[in-house]
Amino acid sequence: MKQLVRGQGFGAIIGVAVMLAVFTLIDFSGWWTIQTISNVTQFTAILAFVAMGQALVIMTKEIDLSVGSVYGLAGVAFITVEPALGVPASFLVALGIAALVGLVQAIAVVKGELPSMIVTLGGLFTARGIIYVWTGGSVHNFSPDARSHPLTRLLGGELFGIEAAILWLVAIAVILSLVLWATPFGNRLLATGGSRESAESRGVRTDRVKIAAFVLCSLLAGFAGILTLCNQPQTHVTLGENMELEAIAAAVIGGCLLTGGRGSILGAILGALIVVSFRYELIALGAPSSWYITFVGVVLITAVIFNQKLARFLGHSV
Amino acid sequence: MTSTHPLIQVRNLDLHFGAFHALKNVSVDFHAGELIGLVGDNGAGKTTLIRVLCGIYAPSSGEVFFDGKKVEKFHPKLAIDQGIETIQQSVGLCDNLSIARNFYLGREPVKRILGIPFLDFARMREKSTRVIRQFGLRDNVSADDEVERLSGGERQSVKIGRAVEFKNRVVIMDEPTNHLSVREREHVNELAVQLKEQGLLVIYITHDIFQVHRLADRIVIMENGEKVADASTSSMTAEELEEVIRQGGRVVEKQEAV
Repeated sequence: MKQLVRGQGFGAIIGVAVMLAVFTLIDFSGWWTIQTISNVTQFTAILAFVAMGQALVIMTKEIDLSVGSVYGLAGVAFITVEPALGVPASFLVALGIAALVGLVQAIAVVKGELPSMIVTLGGLFTARGIIYVWTGGSVHNFSPDARSHPLTRLLGGELFGIEAAILWLVAIAVILSLVLWATPFGNRLLATGGSRESAESRGVRTDRVKIAAFVLCSLLAGFAGILTLCNQPQTHVTLGENMELEAIAAAVIGGCLLTGGRGSILGAILGALIVVSFRYELIALGAPSSWYITFVGVVLITAVIFNQKLARFLGHSV
Repeated sequence: MTSTHPLIQVRNLDLHFGAFHALKNVSVDFHAGELIGLVGDNGAGKTTLIRVLCGIYAPSSGEVFFDGKKVEKFHPKLAIDQGIETIQQSVGLCDNLSIARNFYLGREPVKRILGIPFLDFARMREKSTRVIRQFGLRDNVSADDEVERLSGGERQSVKIGRAVEFKNRVVIMDEPTNHLSVREREHVNELAVQLKEQGLLVIYITHDIFQVHRLADRIVIMENGEKVADASTSSMTAEELEEVIRQGGRVVEKQEAV
């Protein structure tokens, strides 16, 4: 219990509880219906993958603005390459492309000693440009064969009556949390974000840690893109636009500090839940969809203030 | 007290940063079981010298021998593996991690489950708890507490305790008592002497000659990248050594910071 309260994700737990209570009270549109919950959890799972990767990068005191484009690029690659290679191979190609984008950016950041915000902003534009050139702006679809392929169904369908994306999210979140909190790699990742100089003075290869974080982040974003397309196998050039901002918002709402070294995988997931729920509820309430961004902004700022007060209350020097 | 061959031997060391000549033909021997005071003004080259010893800078020319063997490659990780530990005021502990996690950072003990290396929390906690008690941290500090809760002196104690626990052979203390209270400073100085008595080589860097003269066996004075004096504390008083520093300071012009 003490661990939970002191953990960075605690603010997000409170946030989710308050949000659900409010949504239940102002329940005009049937919040607690199977349809709503199924939609919200599906979109939450997708955003949560991207947010978890983002959280890892933020914990090393860097940032990755390219995740939305990487998400789109991996999805487009998955669909476009499939007719030639089949579903399993195109799955691997798409993940490979995502990992490659992460690796190239990480090397530019670490070896070139460049600010990650600039490098990944370049990555955002570059990957988005590749999507436009590659698809020519046209829409691609899966063939019926590819739709019924076991791997497509395993990633995009329902398993035991639950959206497959949820099951994948739970499995990968548990693994990432264990890696982060219970392995030497995780200890070094947190140390790299907390104080790079100190970590290096203990012999930690912070350059490799950061490269690993960037590659993991891109892989998770790419995997989210593939999951989305397995569920709805149709690409469009704007796939994943603005997603980097939602992912950063989710990670920050979930307790990640941009100063590095502090964050939470669970928090990132709950942050994604908050972002997606607000979008859904606002649409359900009949608000113009453009209001959604405004609300995300308000929630983000409120969450940061709340998390900071909470951290100070718990005795952290934030 | 000193062994026959030096633990660290530096011969004709030169280091250039571009046009800046940071170390000029420095030769010095350090023996195990010695406490050396490395003294000099800001920019005298003392920190640069120890950065060579702990692998951060590679010398432009000259040789470094460690335990009789010539050092070929300079990297912080190699120096740590050889048992050279540097204790700096602001570096070495990550505020966001617990004492136990900091203690083992970079060489975490693991328990393998299905071949996956998991941190051995029980061992990390047990050993670091023993050390923080031994090195005089408050009783209400536990190994699970984050380092940000500790005072400056407690941080130094944790770093020194860690240096002892990992059976280091050389402990380099870079201005270890800056910003510490009087009592904490005394505590850190006592620890430095203890390390020496356990047979370690302790290099104590400071610009306070009077403080280190009481502790050290030998004082090495650096000035403008050169070694200007190397004398045992029994042969020269602190006042005489301070005069050397003043003389050194007068003959050179104002110099760049390193």
